Amino acid sequence: MSGEGNKQQKKRYMLKIDSFAYANKLRNVHPAEKTAFALTTMLLCLIFSSVTLSAVIIILMAGVTVGLAGIPVKTYLRLMFLPFSFLLVGVITVAVSASAGDTVVGANAAEWLVKIKISKIALGITPEGLLAAARLFFKSLGTVSCLYFMSLTTPFVEIAMMMRKIKLPALFIELTEIIYRFIFVLLKTAEDIYTSQSSRWGYSSFKNSMNSLGCLTAALFVRSLHRSQELFTTLTARGYTGQLNVLAPQYPVSAANITLIIIVETFLVISAVLLEVNKFV
Amino acid sequence: MSDYIIEAENLIYTYPDGTQALKGINIKIPKGKKVAVLGSNGAGKSTLFLHCNGILKPQQGIVKYDGREVRYDRKSLLQLRKNVGIVFQDPDSQLFSASVYQEISFGPLNFGLSEETVRKRVEQAMSATEVAGLKDKPTHMLSYGQKKRVSIADILAMEPEVIICDEPTAWLDPKHAQQTVKLFDRINSSGTTIMMSTHDVDLAYSWADYIFVLSNGEVIGEGIPEQVFTNEILIKKADLEKPWLVQVSEVLLIKGCLPKAAVLPRNRERLFELIINHGTNVGEEEVINDFSDFRNNGRERDHISADLKGL
Repeated sequence: MSGEGNKQQKKRYMLKIDSFAYANKLRNVHPAEKTAFALTTMLLCLIFSSVTLSAVIIILMAGVTVGLAGIPVKTYLRLMFLPFSFLLVGVITVAVSASAGDTVVGANAAEWLVKIKISKIALGITPEGLLAAARLFFKSLGTVSCLYFMSLTTPFVEIAMMMRKIKLPALFIELTEIIYRFIFVLLKTAEDIYTSQSSRWGYSSFKNSMNSLGCLTAALFVRSLHRSQELFTTLTARGYTGQLNVLAPQYPVSAANITLIIIVETFLVISAVLLEVNKFV
Repeated sequence: MSDYIIEAENLIYTYPDGTQALKGINIKIPKGKKVAVLGSNGAGKSTLFLHCNGILKPQQGIVKYDGREVRYDRKSLLQLRKNVGIVFQDPDSQLFSASVYQEISFGPLNFGLSEETVRKRVEQAMSATEVAGLKDKPTHMLSYGQKKRVSIADILAMEPEVIICDEPTAWLDPKHAQQTVKLFDRINSSGTTIMMSTHDVDLAYSWADYIFVLSNGEVIGEGIPEQVFTNEILIKKADLEKPWLVQVSEVLLIKGCLPKAAVLPRNRERLFELIINHGTNVGEEEVINDFSDFRNNGRERDHISADLKGL
């Protein structure tokens, strides 16, 4: 049952992010401002591979997300730990270098910090490798924190609106929007079917579970097809001609926010350049 | 200009799977009125509605809008859909956007209105259906009743001449059903024709100006509510029941608690008024006779139910 529990937990995280996006203290900030803030910070994090800058960005984003947007610290930390396992595997492979003989490829000899010799191959960690790994680790986490800020404070609807503003292909946006909407409809359908099945002992044994799950999947497929046909009918009834034209609500543009974002970003750029010039990590 | 906003003449439609949904339907929807379409499941109500808006093209017969025959080219269809809006039964199949505001703006935008006009209409539709407070909520977090109201706002924003509702009160609790009906009354008072299908005979009786009864793809009766619901044969044939107001009034009439010449009351208040204003000093004999009649009727009904039990 642990697999199911895990799945449930992941689903809950997804829904949690979604519900926070609609109910946080930065909800009424113009989505363009939030997007600009998150994307420029992310860009800086990616351009300058500085550990210090990345760390500053992680702290900054955590501060904004928890402090300003009001996301509970516990939830935020849990979310930040989600990419950890991926990150760890990636970072270890970067940190560990291998070479034939005693010399490390592309670095000064005898710079091993730790070394294991297996017949003629040396495996170990070099300062360069460690630095590269640290850079990658902080850079990834910094980027993730920017994305979390974005997804925890900006509902998908507004992200789609931003995609419209920057003139991404309409078909792509419409598809994403409809998929987003119907994820929830299907989730609800699946839940209902699951409940009705389990109330009839559908998941009482392994054999029953397999059988019920099969039926559930099949039913979902059929329902999806049915839903899409219904949707087409209802859209046609409202004069659909091949394009989902919609208007988004208007948000107030705040000069104070924009100024603040510019100040923060300038500060980040200047410190990044200074760090680079002084050859600081 | 015609007195009837939508007319269907000898409409025949068979679904690809062989189900004959409409078998020669003739209806005339009076302009500016509240029209109820009654009928059991599978009577052809939804199929009929899809014809009114040009989603389905009749295999035989014609549909007329405002006296003119509907044409099925792109432009005429768009014009028809601008004038005839359908609120579908399941809001989840109608609401395509995760944003309430975007959702409502879709219809009016399709008719090439300016952004300013559309925004105004969205605001108006939202305040009329009392969903303005849900503007910032995603569709999937709304309750069924809220979704239903948004789906009505969808159509309202298009400002059609006719609004067709497929079972608008199904699955709604009494309070929200009442609100929805009141909303339709408000919309109707500004001249919009409203056509709704329903199983709720009490609602149809109190609300509608005119009623069509469908059964098995045919119109088996029509008329003003008082006519339709006092026609025993029709009601039996359509698998309907008499509204409680009619049942109670009939008993009271027999009992002499209502004036003989009284028009059937259309709502609770009117019924009470009639009872209170009417003295109960009626000839005893008459009452007893009528009452024994009534008892015989009751026995007859007992026979029927006994037969049913036998089945």
